[in-house]
Amino acid sequence: MTAAAQLTEAILRPAPSRTGPAVAQRIRDRLAGNVPDLVAPLPPGEQIVVSVPILRQLASGGDNPTIRPDDPFAWKPAFVRRSLGLAAIDACLAGYFRAPLEAVGPVAERAVAEWERSGWRTFHWEPWYAGLGTGGRGAVLAEASNWATGVWASLDWGQFRTAPRLGGPDDQWVCPGPRTVRLKGRSEIRIDLPSPEPSDSGSGSGSTTQQVLVAVAGGSPPSGLDVQLGYLALVAALRTPTRPAPVRVVGLWPQAGEARTVEVTDELLARAGDTALDAVRAVVRTRGGSPMDGAGLGVGGGADALGTTDRLGTGDPASGSAAIEALAAA
Amino acid sequence: MALLETDDRRWKHRQPITFPGYSVRHGGGADRPNRASSNESDADGQVPPSLLQWTPLAGTALLDRIRITGRPRPAADPNRVEALRRIIDDGIESCLTPVAVSGADRRRLVVTHAALSRALDRRSGRSDGSIAGRRELTVPIACGALVGVLFRQLLTTGSFGDPWVDGLGALAVDDRQQELVAWIHRLPAGERDGLAAEVRRQAAGLARRWPDLDAAWLPRTDEPIRTVLSDGAVELSARVDLAIGRPGLDVASVALVAITSGSRRPAHRDDLHFSALVETLRRPAPPFAVATYYSRTGELDVDPVSDELLIAAAERTAAGISAMVRQEEP
Repeated sequence: MTAAAQLTEAILRPAPSRTGPAVAQRIRDRLAGNVPDLVAPLPPGEQIVVSVPILRQLASGGDNPTIRPDDPFAWKPAFVRRSLGLAAIDACLAGYFRAPLEAVGPVAERAVAEWERSGWRTFHWEPWYAGLGTGGRGAVLAEASNWATGVWASLDWGQFRTAPRLGGPDDQWVCPGPRTVRLKGRSEIRIDLPSPEPSDSGSGSGSTTQQVLVAVAGGSPPSGLDVQLGYLALVAALRTPTRPAPVRVVGLWPQAGEARTVEVTDELLARAGDTALDAVRAVVRTRGGSPMDGAGLGVGGGADALGTTDRLGTGDPASGSAAIEALAAA
Repeated sequence: MALLETDDRRWKHRQPITFPGYSVRHGGGADRPNRASSNESDADGQVPPSLLQWTPLAGTALLDRIRITGRPRPAADPNRVEALRRIIDDGIESCLTPVAVSGADRRRLVVTHAALSRALDRRSGRSDGSIAGRRELTVPIACGALVGVLFRQLLTTGSFGDPWVDGLGALAVDDRQQELVAWIHRLPAGERDGLAAEVRRQAAGLARRWPDLDAAWLPRTDEPIRTVLSDGAVELSARVDLAIGRPGLDVASVALVAITSGSRRPAHRDDLHFSALVETLRRPAPPFAVATYYSRTGELDVDPVSDELLIAAAERTAAGISAMVRQEEP
């Protein structure tokens, strides 16, 4: 059996629900109760965004982590590869192309043509791409083809009975208050599993669909990244209270030929919530505030010490709404 | 699917592919001028070479030279991987302190072939101890960078326009190459013209000799590959100009190719063997061949990958890491 077939089989393995019905609500309440105090030192109207890259900086920052501000945004091939690569994979799954190398050019051309015709930007990079010469475009296409080929070759797509959902908007949950704290999670692939048991989400939705998230990363996996993968499940659970939390999160590092799977449990979600609070504290400290030392969520010890300078790097930070925000910030 | 063994029957029924909005080039190359199907007939319309004159391989002959090594392709073998890891771990154990290996705030030592070569050269007194990671910009380096991006463009899009314009355009969108692009623009006109002429000459050779690569072989260009060793303390990192063949199979199916715009040097093979080692450690099976293509002359060196080659690469890597660590010690 190929490595891709083994990984896909592991992704699709039935998963008994390991999260209780009210855990997401409990974490939501705890976050909503603690975050306003933590961000109180910041000026009103200020915003904080917590994401996996922030958690990564937190994990590698030792006892007194600081979170560096984002670099000014400018388009480059690495910012296009995720959205174009996922669209190329989608076109391959639809049977239009045999492999991403064939797909990236036509998909990009069509996006540009559509933007020129209607003004609608599916990916946001269309005007930038259209302004490049053939050399620049070739570099963009090569980057996207590489990224997509890494993902394409990592999974045995024929095993999926229902089409996986590729890309889409980031999961987000906003903690209300005069200083907004937004938790964001980005997954490249979402796979629905038929549930082996009736839903016990307690949400009353009766949903029996279980979800597996797949996050694609650059570099190689640092040790102890369970919390970072668990954070993606947490944000998905916070975002949609009517759905049970994802049952499993898979991290994929094509450059290293590695994949790591975490099964989502109450304990993991609570640790991810603690880590999100730690991240908020670190951001406030970095911005010159002195956060009140709010209580954790009662399970786990905050951030994992990953002890690595590597990045989970979920790819394109500038697709969809992220692109709009990045452009606005620039 | 093994390299270059395309299962055309599987896809024939889909041709010609129609993707809404445009038609798709299949097999590519229709818009690429001067492509040779098997052997190079001549250079740029000059007098055909005599029978006694050596002629660079081109087209399918070039691919066959890489594909057919005359040896059985190595099978995936976890024992091989384990043995190679042990060679490196044992070789560097004495120089990595326990704190460095297991400490909570350890830093991962990223090892590239350039860093290895530098450390080994310094140890043997062949180097004056230049600053690690600092690159002195020269015309040959600029030529290599330009030919590299043109090769990538050729394999991705099937063509280029003016190689000089396209090459600079590709480098311009790469934020790691901004310094080089500025340096090229600052070159005196005579040197810049000479560089442009050489880039155009080598690019013409690439276009003439390299055939289209079937997308089903999953060609990846400028692909970063990496693997983590020694309980996360060390990361081996390489970048290959071309990786071709579906990874993750039970039998070696990937070939790695480096493009070199300069003259033949022994270090090229060391570099490529290091890449073969990294690929072996990150996948179930090793690559079956590594090759260096000299774009200046059209020469092609191919090394079938054997256990002996990998063991030698592992021993050199261990020696290089030890040298790196010791040279960094105060």
